[in-house]
Amino acid sequence: MKKAAACFVCLILCRSGLQAQSKAELFGYFESQIIGTQLKDDFFQLFSNKLRLDLKSSLSDNITFAANVNFMTYHGKTTWNILDFLPEKASAEVSPGMEELYILPFNDRIFLDNAYLKLSFKRFDLTAGKQQISMGTGYIWNPTDVFNIKDFLDPTYEQPGHNALRLDIPVSHSTTLTALYAPDDSLKNSAKMLLFKSRISHFDISLVGIEKVWRFHDYTQFDVSAQNFVELPGKRQLLGAGTAGELLGLGIWAEFAYNWMETSDNFYELVVGSDYTFDFQTYVLVEYYRNTLGKSDYTEYSLNDWMRMMAMEQKTIAGDQVYAFIKHPVSDFVSLGCSAVFCISDNSLALVPLLNWSFSDNVEVLAYLNFNLGKEGKIFAQNMGNAGLIRARIYF
Amino acid sequence: MKKYLIFAILFLILSYVLFGQELTGKKIIEKANETFNPDTVYARMKMTITTSSGKERTFVYDSWSTNSGEKNLMRYLEPRRVKDQAILMLNNANDIWVYFPRTGRVRKLATHAKKQKMEGSDFSYEDMGSGDAFIDDYTAERLDDEKMEGYDCYKLELTRKPESDLSYPKMILWIIKENFVPIVIDYYSENYPDRVEKRLVQSDVQVIDGIPTAKKIVMQNKNDNTQTRMELLDVKYNLTLDDDMFTERTLKK
Repeated sequence: MKKAAACFVCLILCRSGLQAQSKAELFGYFESQIIGTQLKDDFFQLFSNKLRLDLKSSLSDNITFAANVNFMTYHGKTTWNILDFLPEKASAEVSPGMEELYILPFNDRIFLDNAYLKLSFKRFDLTAGKQQISMGTGYIWNPTDVFNIKDFLDPTYEQPGHNALRLDIPVSHSTTLTALYAPDDSLKNSAKMLLFKSRISHFDISLVGIEKVWRFHDYTQFDVSAQNFVELPGKRQLLGAGTAGELLGLGIWAEFAYNWMETSDNFYELVVGSDYTFDFQTYVLVEYYRNTLGKSDYTEYSLNDWMRMMAMEQKTIAGDQVYAFIKHPVSDFVSLGCSAVFCISDNSLALVPLLNWSFSDNVEVLAYLNFNLGKEGKIFAQNMGNAGLIRARIYF
Repeated sequence: MKKYLIFAILFLILSYVLFGQELTGKKIIEKANETFNPDTVYARMKMTITTSSGKERTFVYDSWSTNSGEKNLMRYLEPRRVKDQAILMLNNANDIWVYFPRTGRVRKLATHAKKQKMEGSDFSYEDMGSGDAFIDDYTAERLDDEKMEGYDCYKLELTRKPESDLSYPKMILWIIKENFVPIVIDYYSENYPDRVEKRLVQSDVQVIDGIPTAKKIVMQNKNDNTQTRMELLDVKYNLTLDDDMFTERTLKK
């Protein structure tokens, strides 16, 4: 609580100081959320509250400073045993006496998500500090994004900031060259990225090269000195391309990345998607995803596979998936939709009906349900339970 | 005296021929398009959506436009929920990008997205930034002149060209004879060709920087029984707007 008050006072003081010399804005949102999960005969509830405070200041025409602090509190069932959600075969891999390591606690926390300085000149933009890095054209999956993994239940939720130095050089009105350096413990282990973006006719195109250490964990072994599961770092070199445009009236996009791995098998990821809005305002989207790191036989999913996917270390454990989404505005401020992810590799399906309600100018409500319809052991298995979420967000 | 009278009659006939009957639908729509799409413009707009139940939502945004509406940039100022969200429309809205500040993402939208309502309003993206669409995508036919909203107006019927992918198959425009401001536009439905889907009414016409400008615009949705009001809070014409301003880089600022 003391820490929270200190952070808040810091932001206010910072704002007052910045306001004296420039235009500073303090804004953000408050978010209240409830997640309910029906797991066999049990029903669990997790409540959370999030207060995000943003500060943005233009120190001059060329210099911008932006930061946000997040305060989060959790209530209800704040410890979840991940093994409850895994198939028996995967749980059986856990060594006796290690079961407690798979309990995921939700602790109240305060964190600085973004804090960066941006210098903008005619010839370049330089951004230094903790910042969001958004890559790729895919809606659910982004093969060229090695910094973030989206949640298919909530793909548009903001991604965390990453510490980086970013240089954007506009080569022409439609072409940009971006270089990014995200520091790690050494120069060798730091992430480096070069991105070229341009436009051909009505298509945006991009080419990207990235080198980054991928920090997997072995979730069957515990490192006592690190008080965590054993880390298995491996260098990942990626070459990728993406495009977004229009064909025969349909919005289309594609993204591809080939990954050369230092300590494991090379693999590639591919996304192809399309969307359309009908005259009666219904919007539909379909996206296909292939990841050759994923497995085609669900009986081969291991404890490590499940844990790495749940810990957002890898995007998926299955080879091929299709995502479909349909949305229709039932009134000016309410839209109903449904998304579905079908795993082609193991024939399992997740259904997510959802509702968006713009309650007032600055209040919005999101509610969705998540039904898993696959057999045990599959990526969307019934034994993983069904869930629902209601979230209200107030902007200020 | 007789000589002067003949001259005056000839002058009136000539004026009538040149500026009245001789104006074809095509010429009228070209002139209206000029007033609708000045070369460069900056505007601060207040948009108020009223639902059928009487609820209201208010948005304020800045917009910049150049090359007679060929390039458009819009950035929301209010409410907080959408603040800094920005939309870039190039090539008469055939290329659209939307920037979401919360995620830092820029998304390229296909032209079908032009049919979507802008923030739940009665304006679609197509209504907001179609540049020369009146000329390029429609053929104009002049109908009998009519009085509308108290003004003497030219009445035009615009029919969508077969190769166009715009939403409205037909539009009827009432254009003020004095200044070529389209005072009322009826947008006809795709599915019911004889039904007016939306009606746009402009009012409070003032001459700003030499350009007749409607400071109030109302779009009525006849299907949903809703309406969206636009108020021009500020406007500037004949600005020097660099092409650098209409890029993805500026979208994120």
